[in-house]
Amino acid sequence: MARRTKIHVGLEIGTSKTCLVVGEVKADSAVKILGIGETKSAGIRKGEIYDYSQIRACLKDALAKAEDASDVEIGSVFLAVSGAHIQGVNHRGTYRLPDGDPVVSQDHVEEARTIAREVHIPHDHVYLHPIIRNYWLDGLEHSSSPVGLFGKTVEADFHVVHGIGTRIQNSIKLVREMPLEVDDVVFSPIATAQMALDREARENGALVIDIGGGTTDYALYLGGVITASGCIPVGGDHVTNDIHLVTGLPFSKAERLKITEGDASSDPVRSVGVARLTDDRGFAEVEVNRGVLNEVIRQRLEETLRLVLQRLPAKSLEAIGGGVFLTGGTSLMRGFSDLAFEIFGRDIYRPELPEISGVQASFKDPRYATVIGLIRYAQILETEKASPPGVIGRIGRMFWPFGR
Amino acid sequence: MIPYSRVTKDIIPTSSVKIIGLGGAGANMLERIALDGMEGAELLALNTDVRTLGSCLAKEKIQLGLNLTKGLGTGGDPDLGRQAVLEAEEQIRAAVKGCRIVFLCAGLGGGTGSGASAIVTRIAREEGAFVVVFATMPFAFEGKRRREQAETALNELAVLSNALVTFDNNRMGELVLAKQGIHEAFVAADHMICESIKAVIRLVIRPGLINVGLDDLMSALRTNRSRCLFGSGIASGKDRASRALRNALSSPLLDQGSLLKEAQTVLVHLCGGEDLTLYEIELLMQRLQKYVPESAHMLFGAAIDPVMGDSLSLTLISALPEDALTSAPRHALSQTSGETPPLEFIQAVTPEPEKVLVVEVPAPQVEEIPPAIIEPEPPAVVEPEPPAVVEPEPLPEPPAVVEVPVPVKESAPSESLISKFRRSLIGSAPVAPTLFDTNRPFAESDPIPSKNTEVIQTPVEPPAAHSQETPAEIEQPPVVNEPPAPEPKPEPSPVVVADFVAVSKEPSEASYIEADPDPKPIENDEDFNIPSLESAGFTPIPRKRPVGVTPWAGTKDGDRSLKLGAEIPAPTPAPPAPEESSTAASAVETESPKLKLGIKTAGPQSELSFDSTPRGRFEGEGPNMIDGEDLDLPPFLRKKK
Repeated sequence: MARRTKIHVGLEIGTSKTCLVVGEVKADSAVKILGIGETKSAGIRKGEIYDYSQIRACLKDALAKAEDASDVEIGSVFLAVSGAHIQGVNHRGTYRLPDGDPVVSQDHVEEARTIAREVHIPHDHVYLHPIIRNYWLDGLEHSSSPVGLFGKTVEADFHVVHGIGTRIQNSIKLVREMPLEVDDVVFSPIATAQMALDREARENGALVIDIGGGTTDYALYLGGVITASGCIPVGGDHVTNDIHLVTGLPFSKAERLKITEGDASSDPVRSVGVARLTDDRGFAEVEVNRGVLNEVIRQRLEETLRLVLQRLPAKSLEAIGGGVFLTGGTSLMRGFSDLAFEIFGRDIYRPELPEISGVQASFKDPRYATVIGLIRYAQILETEKASPPGVIGRIGRMFWPFGR
Repeated sequence: MIPYSRVTKDIIPTSSVKIIGLGGAGANMLERIALDGMEGAELLALNTDVRTLGSCLAKEKIQLGLNLTKGLGTGGDPDLGRQAVLEAEEQIRAAVKGCRIVFLCAGLGGGTGSGASAIVTRIAREEGAFVVVFATMPFAFEGKRRREQAETALNELAVLSNALVTFDNNRMGELVLAKQGIHEAFVAADHMICESIKAVIRLVIRPGLINVGLDDLMSALRTNRSRCLFGSGIASGKDRASRALRNALSSPLLDQGSLLKEAQTVLVHLCGGEDLTLYEIELLMQRLQKYVPESAHMLFGAAIDPVMGDSLSLTLISALPEDALTSAPRHALSQTSGETPPLEFIQAVTPEPEKVLVVEVPAPQVEEIPPAIIEPEPPAVVEPEPPAVVEPEPLPEPPAVVEVPVPVKESAPSESLISKFRRSLIGSAPVAPTLFDTNRPFAESDPIPSKNTEVIQTPVEPPAAHSQETPAEIEQPPVVNEPPAPEPKPEPSPVVVADFVAVSKEPSEASYIEADPDPKPIENDEDFNIPSLESAGFTPIPRKRPVGVTPWAGTKDGDRSLKLGAEIPAPTPAPPAPEESSTAASAVETESPKLKLGIKTAGPQSELSFDSTPRGRFEGEGPNMIDGEDLDLPPFLRKKK
């Protein structure tokens, strides 16, 4: 099938940075990054907007940079959203075939899917993604649609992501004011997973944890399908804040100390001595005992990871064969993989981007995982749209266009 | 069994270590030792009571008073015990012949234990052995008579033995819960003794990388009139260093480490498998610093024993004079019990809300030092205390000889034997002097060691002077006067010292000690000989405080002032006089729980407390509640582990 080159833009309005990535999806489905526009965010806290005008200025700036860098006029974006209010639940819709109708038809499947999507959610919530996980036919798992097979009951297993409608609307409003169109709204960890996990990892079972500035997003894939996703409103900012609260250092210094000296592993060897920040002239302006610094960091991150672990469905950890993939800026913390291993006991990966050309160096950076994941998400969506309806289930998931 | 030694130079052959259980209590201890398995030593039971003797697990047994008591006990009569043991003198002499070290376990107060222990000790010493006596003192309820008998025996033993470790049964009662059976209480007590014997044997027998030997042991146990502080912990796996320390400190004899802070000499022995790392040692020692006063003399030893596998054992041995224990520690216990375990957290917490509180700390600490230093002196130089002590030989002797405390009556041959043995143990001469530094007890009673006391001055003083100079000169003038007093006084007139001591040991000081159970550990890390290690766990704040907080913070180290600015005024009130400081300290003490509460409450419940805690950049936001925890507060402060 001949496909033409298409340009997608991913936008993530994160707690620490606002980032636009312009990517070109080539005909051979390789992605080329044309440009990145990035600005430090202001007005975002824990993944949510708290100062609208500030973040609007930031986004404007980022947009200008991205257009500059990529030499593309950006018209529409895929928007990644996050925030503690967004959560993913699994729901299964069961449809019993009417008597005298032994073969599953398309209508029956649709019926099951409709039922499955009707998760009971709080009244102010809206659906972000109903993602089909798999089908069940008389208790037997089918990864693709069982249309045409014999059976009595059809079940559709969905992972439904939902969040507070108004908050998501505000994010969309923000983007529309640029003015930009929103192609789709994607829950961050799902976008991240597109980038971080290859098909094999998803099949084997993998957990993506995206620890950003204000939130920790996670998505769990088991058997090739998404099983859990969610967001914990804790991120790198909290680490900085902890350092600030414990040591009394100002934020800027706490932040620098965190980045230059912090270590999250509980290895006592790395906790010996004093961590110093030197000013321009090489004098130590801040001295903090490494033991304390690392302990503050470690306890925070450990707690966060444990919260993630706690929210995963029971026994899912054992099912993770592929490993745990860490992305996000905070995952750059020294010793973080040691800590993650300690908690999850699985292989720990920091994903590198495959099949992406462009300014390679910057894309290995886990901080861009989500935005680049958005491009891949767009690419997949594109593929699915282009494919004939029957093949939708082939990839094992379906995306609903965002419609509110 | 054919005894042989793999490494002839250092290892003491098994056959030359003997553990003697004397009397009924001794038999019990011996039994416990046998049950717990003791490699590297032979067991010998001595008793007048044939029945107990018969059921004893020891390999060798000698019945005392074969003709005198005819297999019965002594009925609590020490004289009978003494005569009985004399009957068996030849047998005992034969049994201990060739032994290098003899551990004598006896329960004092009864007939056999009180009567025979001194004689057995003497016999062993005559045979050239180094004798360490583990004695239990009777319960208070056993009556005054037995107590007196025990004390008489104890005084004799103090003279005769090379090292004396006393366990008070009253104290042992605290080992177990009140409602637990008496059997368990005794088992626990015996276990304790057994552990310490084992530890001592391990320490003496295993040649270490950093060696500690009997000499160090003796200085750690200020033999006479002191109670042994003993803690031993084993841990393996990750983080074993700190867990071993925790285990060791959990020994009831240490009161969670709170007793250690009055110790002047602490012997620390580490034994680990081949993967023992220097970092672990550093880490551990650093943690330990929090429990031990700066001025304390740390005798550190480390050994590699492949048998240990990946586990690490830590042994802490120290001694406190009995009088120091009577008042202070109990209080310390009651006060600290709640606080000590989370000590690390408390420290960690300190920076923010407790600033003022912590600041006070340095002051009391400094004041505390002088007494600590002075205290050792009186027994050494003054002779008021030793009650029933016999003094066969003239008191002072030239310091040069030093190395061996010669048995009282004993003559050259045995000394040379011992000293040879010693040297082989010690390996290097320089260690020798330090060894005796806390041997006051001998000084009191045993003439020869008394010469050691002169030598002692050297080791003790330098650390003292060292540790003190800094705080003293900077802290506050009043204290400065004090150090000079102890310093020039290798042998001042007894009177002066006595006065001095009297002053410094006033109740106020004692109460003060009680008053600050936890601040002390906080800062001990300042002056320790392993230089670079400080970080490890949680020391940072203390680390800074001693330097920064004190009045000169402004002049020096100004740049270090992380958050010291506000605190500087605080210390000034505290220093003036010990009396004041005690009140100050207690005031601080009362304050502290409140402050801590403010932080703690943030955790499990109550939104009320949110306002009270600073939340940094999330100030003013609604609580970020998940599972009852406000995620915006640092877990580090939430005490969530």
